[in-house]
Amino acid sequence: MIFSKLFFLYFFLPICIFAYAAAGSIKNKNTVLIIFSLIFYAWGEPIYVFLMIASAFVNFGAGLLIEKYRGSKGDFFITGAAVLYNLLMLGIFKYSGFIVENINAVFSSNIKVPDISLPIGISFYTFQTISYVIDCHWENVKIQKSFKKFLLYITLFPQLIAGPIVRYSTIENELDNRKTSVTDLSYGLNRIILGLSKKVLLANQLSIIADNILGDIGNASFFGAWYGAAVYALQIYFDFSGYSDMAIGLGRIFGFHFDENFKHPFVCKNITEFWQRWHISLSTFFRDYLLYVPIFGKRRKYGGLFLVWLCTGIWHGASWNFIIWGIYYGLFIFIEIKIGKKRMKKIPTVINHIYSKLVIIIGFGIFYFNDISKLGQFLKTIFFFGGNGLINIADKISVVNNVYLLIAAILCCLPIIDVIKKISEKSFPIKVFVSFANTIVCAALLIISSIMLVDATTNPFLYFRF
Amino acid sequence: MSDSKKGNDENDNIDIKIDKSKLSKRRKRFLITRYLHSFNIIIITMIFVFGFSYLLFFKRETVSNEENRTLTEFPSFSLSDYFSGKYTEGIANYYDDTVHNRSKIKKFIASKLLPLKGRQYGDDGIVLYGSSFENEDEDKNSEDTTTSTTTKPDSQVTTAPTTETTVVTTTVTTLPDNTNPAAEGEIANNIVVVNNRGLMLYGGGKENGLEYAASLNAYKAALGDSVNVYSMVCPTAVSYYMPENYLNLTASEKDNIDNINSALVNVTPIDVFDALLLHKNEDIYSRTDHHWQPLGAYYAAQEFAKTANLPFAELTEYDTVSLPGYVGTLYGYTKSASLINNPEDFIYYIPKINTVTTRYTTTFTEPHEDSLLLDSSKMSSSNYYMVFGGDEQITQVTTDCKNGRTLVVFKDSYGNALLPVLTSSFENIYLCDVRYFDMNAVSFVQQVGATDLLFAMNTFSATGGNHDSIEANRTK
Repeated sequence: MIFSKLFFLYFFLPICIFAYAAAGSIKNKNTVLIIFSLIFYAWGEPIYVFLMIASAFVNFGAGLLIEKYRGSKGDFFITGAAVLYNLLMLGIFKYSGFIVENINAVFSSNIKVPDISLPIGISFYTFQTISYVIDCHWENVKIQKSFKKFLLYITLFPQLIAGPIVRYSTIENELDNRKTSVTDLSYGLNRIILGLSKKVLLANQLSIIADNILGDIGNASFFGAWYGAAVYALQIYFDFSGYSDMAIGLGRIFGFHFDENFKHPFVCKNITEFWQRWHISLSTFFRDYLLYVPIFGKRRKYGGLFLVWLCTGIWHGASWNFIIWGIYYGLFIFIEIKIGKKRMKKIPTVINHIYSKLVIIIGFGIFYFNDISKLGQFLKTIFFFGGNGLINIADKISVVNNVYLLIAAILCCLPIIDVIKKISEKSFPIKVFVSFANTIVCAALLIISSIMLVDATTNPFLYFRF
Repeated sequence: MSDSKKGNDENDNIDIKIDKSKLSKRRKRFLITRYLHSFNIIIITMIFVFGFSYLLFFKRETVSNEENRTLTEFPSFSLSDYFSGKYTEGIANYYDDTVHNRSKIKKFIASKLLPLKGRQYGDDGIVLYGSSFENEDEDKNSEDTTTSTTTKPDSQVTTAPTTETTVVTTTVTTLPDNTNPAAEGEIANNIVVVNNRGLMLYGGGKENGLEYAASLNAYKAALGDSVNVYSMVCPTAVSYYMPENYLNLTASEKDNIDNINSALVNVTPIDVFDALLLHKNEDIYSRTDHHWQPLGAYYAAQEFAKTANLPFAELTEYDTVSLPGYVGTLYGYTKSASLINNPEDFIYYIPKINTVTTRYTTTFTEPHEDSLLLDSSKMSSSNYYMVFGGDEQITQVTTDCKNGRTLVVFKDSYGNALLPVLTSSFENIYLCDVRYFDMNAVSFVQQVGATDLLFAMNTFSATGGNHDSIEANRTK
C-alpha cells in the first residue's frame, strides 16, 4: 500500500487510527498496530508477508539465544549466523538476478537468471533486524522476550517499506510504554501533511520534468542534462524525505518518536556534510555497523570507507549505476578527508556550495540511469560532449513553464520551517499566530494534495524499489 | 527599617506576586497552546472525515470521457489474483480511480492548479509535454529527391486494374502556404500545446519507412496483378499547425512520406499530404485528440478515389452529426488547461446509402451484424473510438455501390475514419487493424477476393513500431 494514495489516506488510515484509539490498553494498541501493519504489507505483498514474519521469528530467536549463550563463543556464532541469514535473504531476493546476469556476461555462461520479484521494504526491515542482533550482541539493547513486541518493531507500518531504518533502541521503551498527547497528535498530523505535500505537489510534478529530459538523454542539450539531473535530485529529495516525514508523523500519532532521516541536505557545504544530512538512518547504520570492520587492518580507515560506500551503492539497487554512484561519493569523501577539515573550512563558502551541488547533481544523474550506455551519454552531455548544443528550445520552455514550481522546490530545500519556529519562540503572540497559520496552511495543503491525487496515476515512492 | 531590610521585604512580596502571575501566565499559555493544537486536530480531522465520507459514500464515476476509458472496476476475487496482489491493488485502484465528480476535479486541476507551476513561454503560451525530438532525419534531408513515384491506375472498374509505375516530376499547384506564424505553447510527453491545439512531435524514421515500403512491395509481389496495392501514409496535425519557431522540434513528415513513396514498387502512393494541405484551414484535425477529424479522412479518401479512379460521394450525400464539447486524448496525455478549457466539435458523417456491417474477431470468425457507426445519442460522451469502434476486430461493410470492387484496408486507428467515406467507392470493404490482425494477411486478401488493398497508416505508425506488424502479418 502506498501512503500517497487516496485509499490509504481516507480509508485505511482513519480506520486504523480509530481502532488504535479505541483499543484502550497498550497491549491492545500493540495488537491493533500489528494487525494493521500486516494488512498494510500484505496488501501489496500477500506472499512475502510470510517472509517478513519468518525474518522476525529468526531474529527474535537469535536475540534469545544470544542472551542464553552470552559471554561464550555461542553468542558470537549466533550473531554471525543471524547476520548471515539476513544478508542471505537480501542477496537471494534482491541480488540473485543481478549476480547471475553478471556471471553470464563475464564467463559467457548460460545460467538461468532467477525471476524473483523484490519484496517491498526488504532492504529496510532486513537492516533493522541486523541492527537488532548486533545491538543484542554488543549489549546495547535489552533482549526482547515478547515475540509480539518484536513483530511490532519489524512490521510497524509507518516505517516498514521505505524507512527510515528505525533502530530497535529508538523505540525499545515505547513498545511497552507510550502515550499520544494532543501535541503528538497535532504534530503527527501536520508532519503527515507536510510529507504528503512534498510527494504530491513537488516530487510528482518535478518527476515530469526530470523524466522528460533524462528519459530522452540522447537528445538532451548541455543545459538540459544539468537541469534534468538537478530537478531529479530535487525530486528524489522531496519523494524520499516526504515519505520519511509521513513515517515520522504516523509514528508520532501512535506514540513513537522516530529519528529524523533528512536535515536539509542541499544546504551542505561539502559531500561529507551532505551524507550527514541525507538518509541519515542509512549512513549512521553503515557508520555504526560497518565502517570500522577489522578486515582492513591498519588501513581500515580508508578500506572501511570505500566498503561503506560500495555497500551504500549496492543497497540502493542491483544495478551497476548504483555501485558507481556509491563509489563516486566514497571518492569525494576520501578526497575531503585527505584535504582535511581545516583546509576545507578555508575554502570560500560560495566555492564549497558550488562544488558540493555540482557533485550532487552529477551523482543523481548517475543514480537515474540504470542503463550504462545512457549513463555514458549523460556524462558526455553533462561535460559538453553530447553534441546537442548548449541549450534547446524545449529546455527554455520547460524552465518557463515550471518556474514557480522550481522556485518553490528550491525554497523548500531550505530550513524555512526551522527559521519560522525559532522566530515564533521569541514571542507568545507570534507563536499563537504561527500556530494558527500553520493549521490553515496544513488544511490547505491537505485539500490541494488530495485533489491532486485524483489526477495522479499510481506514483509510488521511489525508495520502494530499494 | 533599614533600606536593605525594606528592600528585602519588598523583594519577598514581589517574588510571591511574580510567581503567582507567572504560574497563571504559564498556565494560560499552556492552555492556549493546547487549544491551538486541538483546533489543528479538529480541522485536520474534519477534512479526513469529509474525505472518508466523500470517497466512500458518494456516487462513484464509471467512465472518463477526457481519457476515453472506462474507469477501474471493483475486482472480482480469485485466489490467484489475491496471492499475486492484483486483487488488493485492484481495490485500492478502484477506490482512487472512481472518485465522485472526477472529471470536474481533473478539470479544476488542469485549469486552476497546474498552471500555477509556471508561466507561459512567450506570447502564445506554448507548453511542451515531454522532451523535444531532435529531427533524426535532419542530416539526410539533403539526399531527398524532388521526384516521387506514382502510378496510373487502370480505368476499368469491374475488373481489378493493373498498375503501371511511372516516375513523374512533382508539380505543386496553388497549395496554401504551410508556414504558421511564431507562437507560444506548452510541451509534454512529446506533445506541444500551442494555440489551444495539441501537436505530437514526430521523430522521423527513414529506415523504418524503407522497411515499411519493402513490406508493401512484398505484398504486391505476392498478390500479383490481380490486386491493386495502395499506400496512404497520413500526416498528422504537426505538419500543418506547428508554429515556424518550433519547427526544429519535429522531423518532417513530408520528407518521410516522400522517402517511403520513392521506395514503392508497383504500389500506388496516395498523396494525402497536399490534399489535406489544401484544406488546412478547415477542421481536418482534432485540436484535442491525436487523430484526424472525419473531415480530414474524407479529403484523404477523396484523394484515394481520385488516384484509384473510383466513384466518390460528395459530403451532401452524408448526414452530418456534430458532437459538441469534445476533448480528446491529448488532454489525457498533457492535462493541459488550454485543451480542457477549449473543447471542440467532433463532426462525423453517416452515409445515406444502405450499408450492411458485419464485425468479426481478429481471426475472421464469429460474425455478427452491427451498425456502421455507433449511435452517438446513446453515448455518454463523444470520442473517436466511440464513434468508429475499436481496433481489435475485422469489420466488413457491404454497400450499394455495385462496382464489383472489394477493398481490404490494413490500417491503424487513423484508418477507422476512412471506412464510412469509402462506402461510395467499393462494393465490399474489409477493415483490419495491423496491430491485432491474427491471420496471414496475403491469404486473407485472396480469401475475400479483394481487388484493392489499401495500407492506411499515419506517419508515426508507418515509420514506427507498427510497421513491423505489417510484415509480421504477411508472413504469419
